[in-house]
Amino acid sequence: MATSDIINILFPLFILTVILLGMLVIVKIRRVKQLQSQTEELKKSLDDMDEQAKLIVRTDMELNKIQDELDKKITGLYALQRISRATSTALEENQIFKRINPEHLEDLGFERASGFLWHNEEKKFILQLNVGYSEEEINRIKIFIGANEERCLKLIASEKTFSSLSQSDNLIAKEEMRNIFSVTSFIISPIISQQGNKGLLFVGTQNTETLITEGDEELIKILATQLGQTLDNAHLFEKTWRAQQELEDRVKERTRELTLALEEVKKISRRKTDFVSSVSHELRTPLTSVKGYTAILLAGKLGKLPQEAQERLEKINRHTDELVHIVNDLLDISRIESGRVIMKLEPIDLRNTVAKVGDLLSGQLKEKNIYLDVIMKPSACSVLADNSQIERVFINLFGNALKFTPAEGKISIQNHKIDKMVQVDVSDTGCGIPKEAQEAIFEEFFRVDNAINQGVKGTGLGLALVKNIIEAHGGKIWVKSKAGSGATFSFTLFAAP
Amino acid sequence: MQVGIGLSIASDYLKAAKEAVEKARVNITEGNADLAFVFTTGEFGHPLVLKTISELLNNIPILGASTPALISNQGIFKHGLLIVIFSFTEETYFNTACVKDTSDKNALAMGEELGGKLLYGCKGVHRNLTILFSDITIPSRQNFIFGIQEKVGSSFPLFGAFTSHCPDTKKPLLYFGQQTIINAGCGVLWGGKLNFGLGVKHGWQPLGKPRWVTKSSGSTVNEIDGQPAVNLYKDYLAQDIPELKKEFKHISTLYPLGIKIKGEKEYLLRGLSSIENDGSLIFGADVPQDSTIRLMIASKESCLKATRQSAETTLKSIPAAKIKFALVFNSLARYTLLGRQVNQELNLIKEVLGKDLPLAGIYTCAEEAPLSSLNYLGKTYSHNNSIAILTIAS
Repeated sequence: MATSDIINILFPLFILTVILLGMLVIVKIRRVKQLQSQTEELKKSLDDMDEQAKLIVRTDMELNKIQDELDKKITGLYALQRISRATSTALEENQIFKRINPEHLEDLGFERASGFLWHNEEKKFILQLNVGYSEEEINRIKIFIGANEERCLKLIASEKTFSSLSQSDNLIAKEEMRNIFSVTSFIISPIISQQGNKGLLFVGTQNTETLITEGDEELIKILATQLGQTLDNAHLFEKTWRAQQELEDRVKERTRELTLALEEVKKISRRKTDFVSSVSHELRTPLTSVKGYTAILLAGKLGKLPQEAQERLEKINRHTDELVHIVNDLLDISRIESGRVIMKLEPIDLRNTVAKVGDLLSGQLKEKNIYLDVIMKPSACSVLADNSQIERVFINLFGNALKFTPAEGKISIQNHKIDKMVQVDVSDTGCGIPKEAQEAIFEEFFRVDNAINQGVKGTGLGLALVKNIIEAHGGKIWVKSKAGSGATFSFTLFAAP
Repeated sequence: MQVGIGLSIASDYLKAAKEAVEKARVNITEGNADLAFVFTTGEFGHPLVLKTISELLNNIPILGASTPALISNQGIFKHGLLIVIFSFTEETYFNTACVKDTSDKNALAMGEELGGKLLYGCKGVHRNLTILFSDITIPSRQNFIFGIQEKVGSSFPLFGAFTSHCPDTKKPLLYFGQQTIINAGCGVLWGGKLNFGLGVKHGWQPLGKPRWVTKSSGSTVNEIDGQPAVNLYKDYLAQDIPELKKEFKHISTLYPLGIKIKGEKEYLLRGLSSIENDGSLIFGADVPQDSTIRLMIASKESCLKATRQSAETTLKSIPAAKIKFALVFNSLARYTLLGRQVNQELNLIKEVLGKDLPLAGIYTCAEEAPLSSLNYLGKTYSHNNSIAILTIAS
């Protein structure tokens, strides 16, 4: 084959190869461009994602800071609550600050604290609180406070809370505070109470990572306010306590005086009883003679007496009887009061006693046409009593009722049981007893000032005797009455077992 | 093996020491106390406290550390003293050791020294585990750990805590015997018959695009993607350096860096320790140059979920019924993040491991544990923002 033929064959092949290679290059270039474009896309996507990641980080950071601040506030509020609980139970001023401990402060985010109160009399600040300071450090602080009293008082007067975050250097320079109080961050808040106490609360930390926030300032301000209120409470408590002590002392003194007076009264009462007793005794002998001789004269054993003498003697005899009656009552009262009469307690049936006394006074009842209504419950009739003495009680109470109940009236007797006691009520439809006289009627020689009493004779000893007899039985007697609406005398006696 | 735990929150330090020892001793019914861990909050870190404990326990080896808060079965305590007493069978061996005055220059050598001391007397004994307490202020902490691993083996399980400072002295305190020490490391190496389970998790998730550490040294990262390292946080948070410093507490707690480890699903976290004015960032542990990193984000829920996972992981090695004791090293960052919910975290652990399980722990700045904790012979890493749980069975 000629060279030209070879060239003729190879040339198209070469051209074809070149075209194919060119096409391949174009494809490859396109592919590379496509890959480059995809890489660019991926890079862009990665950058976009990174930008999104930045947004996530920034948002996360903000959220974490907020969360931290919230956590800090919650912890601080819990700490405040614990401090409040601890200090509010302190009843003495000097105990209040001692209740604040390092754990409380730590939860508030501080490890050092000092507190001073202004002493009005000594005109100086007194240290009340020291947490986290050595003796040397606290002495340095005391000297500083002492040398800056004016500035400290101005700080209190401003009623503002300062901190290493907010304090201007006008009053006390921040750096000076940091050096004196050996801290990197601090808060200082005035303690003000309604009762006039004033002081300063200082808290601080050496932790360089701790940043004071407005929330911290607010918490310490609340703490200082709480301390002021607690000081007020302690003052009020002390005041109340002192007043109570004074009152107690006065009550004690009065009680002592009353005891002495009571002793004196008892002594006088004893003397009176003795006097009445001896006088009554002394009166009985001549009265017996007077009574005896009067009886002899009236019986005509010494000859018939003229009518006028007879009448006078009968008067003497009647008055002597009354006098004997008074003397006997007085003697009985004094005997019972002095304990010389021993009650012979035995089970008795009140129905019998009432019946007997009713018979005794039946004439008078008929005379005034007074209806005696006896409603005695059998279950409350058996009592432990001295029968003869209880008879006297009923005689006196019936007698009084008869005396003060107008004709056609009614006297009723009822009984009932209350626990171990039997209560007897004697009621009448008489004129009643004024309220102011209801206690006094049981006193000796007391008579209610009314028209009936003025017309009816009486010694004023009957109810006093009744009271003495009932009390000697361990019972009680009282009256319920309304002027014009009758009266009910009630007494109690022990029920028989 | 018997384990007794005693907690006291008495304010009188010596009284607290006595009370805690008495409580811990109650559970040691057979044999003598052999070893004690002492954990305290800062104010209890006094040599007299250790002397008292040591004398009460007949001068047995004591190891421990101070912490901002104690973790115990009874709760989280910001003030207190916790003692764990171990009484071992004859088949269990242990050795304690301590090195002091570590510095930049000698961190590796000091680590080797500690490793060597821990191995002393353990020749021919099957070695199980080392528990380590170290000072966070030790410079070149990774070198220190490398030094230990040089001696005990690079895949030998280390379970450790880098402790944080005491608030008063601003210095961390480690306890060794009757001494309170700083700038140091101490540990115990266990051998013989001892079964244990490990779990370490954090709960943080990657966010944003991957980036590359283009310049770093130790725990200092100078450049990321050829830019000053601080630009990462500036970009994400839209804040300048002064603002970042102001918000440092939040940033360091919430947004650590996650280092992608080849073959591992879990990212290794690095908490931010400080922002330098030249734009470089210092982290809680080493960040190797050329590492792929991501910014990490978490919520309280994801943290608590990780806690449950960490506790559950320990059960893959030892069933709950056989666990005698659980030791918890929990990151301070989690304590800050969880805030008022810290007790929920403790309750989760108790829920998984048993509510009456003897449990003790501290809050730490960094935690040492193998990343793939199930295969506990895996490489030990320094972690931040993590909860590391060790369960021990006899």
